[in-house]
Amino acid sequence: MVAVSDPILEVDGVEKYFGGITALDGASFDVESGITGLIGPNGAGKSTMFDCITGFRDPDGGSVWFRGEDVTGDSPSAVANRGVVRTFQIPHELPEMTVRENLALAPRDQRGESLVASWARGDGYYEDEQRAQRRAVEAAERFEISHVLDTPAGELSGGQRKLLELARALLTEPDLVLLDEPLAGVNPTLEERILDHIQTLAAEGYSFLFIEHDIDVIMEHCQEVIVMHQGRVLMRGEPEAVRTDDRVVDAYLGGDAE
Amino acid sequence: MALADFLVSLLTVVSVYTLFGLGLNIKYGFTGLVDFGHVLYFMTGAYVTVVVTLPVAATSYEGIGGFALPQLLSGVPLGGLLAWFVAIFVAMVVAALLSLLVGVPTLRLREDYLAITALGIATILHTVVNDERWLFNGPFGVRDVHQPLAEAFPVSLGSFLVNLAVFGLVSVLVLAYIGYRVGDYVYGVDLRAAAMAAAAAVLVVAGLGAAALGGALVLGGVLVAVAGVVVLARGIGRADGFGRPLALFTALVFVAWHFGTPFFTAGPSGVLASAVWLFDPTAGADGGFTYGRFVLLVAVSFVAVAYWWCERTVNSPYGRVLRSIREDEDVPEALGKRTFRYKVQSMMFGSALAAAAGGLWATHIAFIDPTQFIADITFFAFTAVIIGGAANNRGVVVGTAVFWTLHTGTRFLNDYFPTEYATQLAALRVMLIGVLLMVILYYRSEGLLGEQTYDTGVAAEEGGRSE
Amino acid sequence: MVETGLIDAVAQGLVTGSIIAAGALGLSLVYSIAEVPNFAHGDMLTVGAYLALALNNPSEIPFVPNAVALPFAVAAVGAVVVAGVFGGIYEKAVFARFRDKDADLITMVIVSLGLALFLQNLVLFLAGSANVTYDTVRRVNVNVDVYATGSGLGVELTQRAGADLATLDAWGYGWLAVVAVLAVAVAAGVAVYRWRSADTGYERVHFVSPRVLAVATTLAVAAGGAALTRGGTVATSNPAFSTRIGVSWKYGAILAVMLATMLCMNYVLKRTKTGRAMRATADDQSLARVRGVDIDRVQLVVWVLAAVLAAIAGVLLGWYASNLNPNMGFNLLLPVFAAVIVGGIDSPYGAALGGLLVGLSMDVGVYLLPAEFATYRTAIAFVILVAVLLVTPEGLWGDA
Ligand SMILES: Nc1ncnc2c1ncn2[C@@H]1O[C@H](COP(=O)(O)OP(=O)(O)OP(=O)(O)O)[C@@H](O)[C@H]1O
Ligand SMILES: [Mg+2]
Repeated sequence: MVAVSDPILEVDGVEKYFGGITALDGASFDVESGITGLIGPNGAGKSTMFDCITGFRDPDGGSVWFRGEDVTGDSPSAVANRGVVRTFQIPHELPEMTVRENLALAPRDQRGESLVASWARGDGYYEDEQRAQRRAVEAAERFEISHVLDTPAGELSGGQRKLLELARALLTEPDLVLLDEPLAGVNPTLEERILDHIQTLAAEGYSFLFIEHDIDVIMEHCQEVIVMHQGRVLMRGEPEAVRTDDRVVDAYLGGDAE
Repeated sequence: MALADFLVSLLTVVSVYTLFGLGLNIKYGFTGLVDFGHVLYFMTGAYVTVVVTLPVAATSYEGIGGFALPQLLSGVPLGGLLAWFVAIFVAMVVAALLSLLVGVPTLRLREDYLAITALGIATILHTVVNDERWLFNGPFGVRDVHQPLAEAFPVSLGSFLVNLAVFGLVSVLVLAYIGYRVGDYVYGVDLRAAAMAAAAAVLVVAGLGAAALGGALVLGGVLVAVAGVVVLARGIGRADGFGRPLALFTALVFVAWHFGTPFFTAGPSGVLASAVWLFDPTAGADGGFTYGRFVLLVAVSFVAVAYWWCERTVNSPYGRVLRSIREDEDVPEALGKRTFRYKVQSMMFGSALAAAAGGLWATHIAFIDPTQFIADITFFAFTAVIIGGAANNRGVVVGTAVFWTLHTGTRFLNDYFPTEYATQLAALRVMLIGVLLMVILYYRSEGLLGEQTYDTGVAAEEGGRSE
Repeated sequence: MVETGLIDAVAQGLVTGSIIAAGALGLSLVYSIAEVPNFAHGDMLTVGAYLALALNNPSEIPFVPNAVALPFAVAAVGAVVVAGVFGGIYEKAVFARFRDKDADLITMVIVSLGLALFLQNLVLFLAGSANVTYDTVRRVNVNVDVYATGSGLGVELTQRAGADLATLDAWGYGWLAVVAVLAVAVAAGVAVYRWRSADTGYERVHFVSPRVLAVATTLAVAAGGAALTRGGTVATSNPAFSTRIGVSWKYGAILAVMLATMLCMNYVLKRTKTGRAMRATADDQSLARVRGVDIDRVQLVVWVLAAVLAAIAGVLLGWYASNLNPNMGFNLLLPVFAAVIVGGIDSPYGAALGGLLVGLSMDVGVYLLPAEFATYRTAIAFVILVAVLLVTPEGLWGDA
């Protein structure tokens, strides 16, 4: 691993208010390549932070930079096309489309996705679609959901939905993947499998920022940990340092950080 | 009016509204856009087509135009027809641009807000067209609708017998082909269900026939017909699917109506007239192929092309993105698809199809005024699409045929009531449509056919072309 | 000659606005609690209006026996009660079933459209398409003519009697009195606001919001002051400014009924157990259910209330316009939706206020625009709707 690397994602003083509620209160952090964990008690603002990074919500203050470029206020698709893709805390499968279609949707820059190309079916239409279909099948095999390829996604089990969501996000070939509690509600064997996948993918060059409540998982798999509390970043550091930090312990035990 | 003429006119109306419904299905069925203002583009298409082809200074017309395109192109061979096609194309472009203007502010909104704003814009523009005489002649409407090639009709091949033989043969072949397709589909039907469907058809036909004789028989006849429907429902309950018995029933009722009624009113010659329905023996000196039948042909070709076009659109990665927007817009956004653009395009494409339908409508009806473009037309199209099955292009054809057959078919009831009840009967019909809409959504929200299946042209497993 | 002017348009707008407000209040309840964007709401107005017609002037409806013809007020009350029963039927026969199936928003939109087609054409079927009116006592309108002159403000009440205009009464105020009354009224309003909002806490729910109370106080004090300081006539021959306001007891009655309706609704929402259950359901249905709220009962109450409010609005609309037709409610659907969205769909108070705003804008807008735009009253409501949606997709007074 490179000792000093430029951060790929920089979050600078992001604020977000919902009516009277302060969800993000000037949170700042950097994310470097590799696997970074994001932890914090319920309501700390983690999911809202993901929304602000990926353009699903416009921050009320502060800015977000990806690979040195300002992406604050960009539309979600624009952020995704720069290489930041996210999953949702509650899986968003497309219920009436098959798993195959859910997956084939994901690859970016398919030539058949333009209206005129869908009519003309000229250069590259079939090649791109074949590639998309092939990659959908591969992803399904990798995530062990190939036996349900032709099932409507609405009929999947909770764990299968998590896998589908993860597989679909990765099919866009992102630089950075934001995972919102990919392990919540997943049985232990499946949890192991998902974590193995993440490790393998990280070795292949993907970077991850992932939200998780299980501190042991974070310890084992993350190079860096960011701790959020009440809309701010409480601290950022190596897993071991975080675990022994008094403020973090206080926050998780429900005490007041200040 | 001979039965065959009625059939031709009904089929033309069904074709026009099928085209209209295909446009709505792109928006609502595949993309999930609840465009309650869809009729706006139908109206736009009708007026633009008419005005572009309207002679300059047409009598009792005070709106903008006409632009006299047929006269401009009169030097070109088939200039009148060419002008008409150009006018339809212009209408489609205008409607697409109008929907772009409407869509840019409204397509960012939540689905329920989109529904109300789209309805609002359509209502207001309808008021504008109705109230501003300088625009398209306001409430007085436009006569002088250009009907391309109308002067060449009725087409006659020389003598009555030749006409009868040629057009009659074509008519019979068309009927035979449809009969073959229906028969092929119905073939595997469960025998008991088939028997019950046949019994139901007999009951319904007998009941309606008795009712048609009027007087005290009306009540009894209607009761018998209702009994027929009950038998049909039971028969369907016996079979493993409702499609085959229903198709059999429909086919039997059609045959009884199309051939049986003329047999009773006009004898064997009536049956013959129905069999050679594309031939009109009363047109011109030797009989012939009428303009109305020509318009039907044109309308059916438009539907065929539009159907193919819609199928190609939705059976592609493009269509997959449209459907993902319908299911959950956040997902394609998160994956990097610019969903707003897709929604605008879907709106424009659907509106262009509606405009083509509008142009055809004007040509068919030969006179347009604002009363033909009320909001109910949109709601009827929604009903038709939902009957057939949203997100199913074949369903649009089936649903529209069912809807307009019921709607127009029940018009014959008007003959048995004093004319002052015409409003009442029309109201009753729309009331029942409202109920039908709710009942279908409750008991069978996927409609008759359910959502269609998709094939992007690439066989999924082998990764090769499936064509 | 005195002409009607902006103030007259404002008076009309208030009446229109309060009718829309009643419609909007009902729609917003259904929208936020039953989660149905109810396209049948306009036709629920029509049904209410025709129910009153059936009781009041049955000779206008072919299928109703001509036996009883109740006075208008009695018929109106009867209609509102029957409409409430209808509201229960809509819920039980239609919406409860779709709710049990977890129908999504789009389905609900289309279901309500089906109901709209049904109701509108039911009225058309039973009553025909002719324009009809209630059988009511007609009274001649009174004109309030206001003159601003060098010496003060002159007021004349005139009324048409045959071909000419009879002066009923005339009086005036010195400028000093005008300024003094206004100053006292505003001061009273501010004082009331301070006093009522002083103890505002997070927990406290005001029965009437301090702002509304302040405005009401200002108006009441101004009216009282005007009555007290009333002086002799002022020479009105050459006024700097004059305007005519047409008023009728009809307008007054409509405003009074609306005010009473709003107060009753306010009471129901804030002081009754059902009202609290309704608000809890609007906030979070599943949470409310867990806390033991009987959702089915709440929904039933909501639909009954919505139908009652719609019927009140419909009857008053038919009375105000002296005209009923089967499209009357559907034509008002757009302004009512505009009011709800302007006010924020989760806030019944916002919806009522939005209704006033939309009504005012429609009438004042028509007054300000050239005469040939009079048919575009509804378009004004629509422009407001789109403008608000573009600026703040959540509505002006979101429930923050
Ligand atoms: N749409 C919204 N409207 C109002 N408040 C919101 C909204 N979304 C989030 N909040 C509030 O913002 C704060 C942060 O929420 P967020 O979902 O980001 O927390 P989180 O850290 O992801 O929590 P969890 O671990 O439970 O997922 C919470 O107080 C929450 O109530
Ligand atoms: Mg979260």
